Amino acid sequence: METLGNLVFGLGVALSWQNLLYCLIGCILGTVVGVLPGIGPVATVAMLLPFTFHLGPAPALIMLAGIYYGAQYGGSTTAILINIPGETSSVVTTIDGHQMARRGRAGPALGIAAIGSFAAGCIATLVIAYFAPLLAEVALKFSPAEYFSLMVFGLIAAVVLARGSLIKAIAMVCLGILLGLVGTDVNSGTVRFAFGQPELSDGIGFVAIAMAFFGIADVVINLERSDKQEIFTSSIGSVLPTLDDLRQSFWAIMRGTGLGSVLGILPGGGALLASFAAYMVEKKVAKPPRMFGEGDIRGVAAPESANNAGAQTSFIPMLTLGIPSNPTMALMIGALTIQGIAPGPQVMTERPELFWGLIASMWVGNLMLLILNLPMVGLWIRLLAVPYRLLFPAIFVFCCIGVYTVDGKIFDVYAIVVLSALAYVLLKLDCEPAPLILGFILGPLMEENLRRALMIAFGDVTVFVTRPISAAFLIASVALLVVIALPTLRAKREAAMQE
Amino acid sequence: MHIRSPKDFWSGLIFVALGAAFVALALQYRLGDLHRIGPGLFPTLIGSLLVGLGLIVAGRALVLVGPSIERIHFRPLLVSLAAILLFALALQWLGVVAAIAVLVLVGAYASRDVRIWQVLALAAFLIVFSVAIFVWLLGLPLPLWPSG
Repeated sequence: METLGNLVFGLGVALSWQNLLYCLIGCILGTVVGVLPGIGPVATVAMLLPFTFHLGPAPALIMLAGIYYGAQYGGSTTAILINIPGETSSVVTTIDGHQMARRGRAGPALGIAAIGSFAAGCIATLVIAYFAPLLAEVALKFSPAEYFSLMVFGLIAAVVLARGSLIKAIAMVCLGILLGLVGTDVNSGTVRFAFGQPELSDGIGFVAIAMAFFGIADVVINLERSDKQEIFTSSIGSVLPTLDDLRQSFWAIMRGTGLGSVLGILPGGGALLASFAAYMVEKKVAKPPRMFGEGDIRGVAAPESANNAGAQTSFIPMLTLGIPSNPTMALMIGALTIQGIAPGPQVMTERPELFWGLIASMWVGNLMLLILNLPMVGLWIRLLAVPYRLLFPAIFVFCCIGVYTVDGKIFDVYAIVVLSALAYVLLKLDCEPAPLILGFILGPLMEENLRRALMIAFGDVTVFVTRPISAAFLIASVALLVVIALPTLRAKREAAMQE
Repeated sequence: MHIRSPKDFWSGLIFVALGAAFVALALQYRLGDLHRIGPGLFPTLIGSLLVGLGLIVAGRALVLVGPSIERIHFRPLLVSLAAILLFALALQWLGVVAAIAVLVLVGAYASRDVRIWQVLALAAFLIVFSVAIFVWLLGLPLPLWPSG
């Protein structure tokens, strides 16, 4: 009952004119970047951070959240119509979604993607409302030792679930941590790794890092590939699925939502992992398994529900523990920090209007997205006609102005040049950028909690294994690494990533 | 010695180099003791870990076969970076209008497919749009024109 009361309170916050407006802006922008293949939610959230400075924390977060889950709606449109995922989390939707389009059922495919996402969004909102307070209550009891071990666990889990080589991902985390340590050490006042540059004493801007890896370097890599895309817009027809379609996909949506909600909470989880897992599960359990890969509507319904559910529940660790599970959440933490709010379990009690307003806004936002995506899908498809050669200079402009206005320092623009070059080389060598961003955000926090934990324990390093919760996190981290290093499981993981 | 997995080999070397650089710098700061750890300790630990991981990645690349590095196209990379560099210079001396113009006009050449009239129109649009949003609507302190 208390949860219900809190949701009603949050709805009151979310339904203010200002918050409704920013929710709508976030949803529209999210849909746009979701539809456009060359640009994702991470870069967009980074580019929009400067816009949020003069807003309060609630509208800022509501808008940025709308971009993330809005992108999950938009991504399916591109996946279905042109067989190219608008977002990475829509990769599996291309399999059955595009086949449906080729059979003249593009309309119902788009329809079920939007309806599934909406159902998933509503359920995931409830999941957050129930589980986030529980987790926050536990987290309030954490001491620095638990926090340190939790961050270790979070980072390990994040790389285990990431694509590509495990060792390289851990190395990227380390590199991220080191880059995060550049600047003044809050404890001793020592300026580290600044090469005498006064601008570096504040550290490297996380906006600059995010833009370099997910904006500029990403554009450069895209420009290297010059594949032409064929747009498939001839006949969309009615977007309303038939009653039979709905009956068929109901359980697929429910399974996708359940799986997505769980996977979203895990560190390293979120929309991408959720959609892959949901598709694989659906292929195994759906009856009859007749035509997956040939345009089965359940192959659209399950992953699209899952990615939206996962996108939303990944807010739980961010809001309650202050630990990002993916790069977008890392940016959300940055946005909170800029607003002068330290993310963590105290946010819920100290800023209830922010916490519950954000959760309730997800409901409102999902309703907006349903309206934006079902009747107006034709409008978004026209966006696909914008060629990339006109899109990428705009990305440059927003990145450059954005990174400059964060602090009004020209130095940050120069920094983005250097960081983009580094990002390009690393991307070219198949080093995933996501672990680096997570390490960058968590690095200084890890150091601070390590220092505090050791100070309280008078330099006794066993504190991390004698406190039960801390020990559990560390054992879980080691177990994860061992499990993933076992040859049989590694083969399975690689097969799953291939699929 | 034969490099079987170029991508891993070179990323390993980069990790070793960056890790070693961070360790070398971190050792100049006070390490402290475990009760009161100094500013040098944590970066030294993480930097050493990075060196170790880099060695493993590079070492494995001599044994395990992996994909070769895709061709590096210098045009998109260098033109993009040059455009951003010019943007920074122009913003400092000439104001945001000139800076956006330079960024778009130069940056567009990162693609092979340049249609000059479209690029000019895009530059004009982005200047008007950015000035309207950033300067007039949000009131961000961006110099519009050369400061004389």
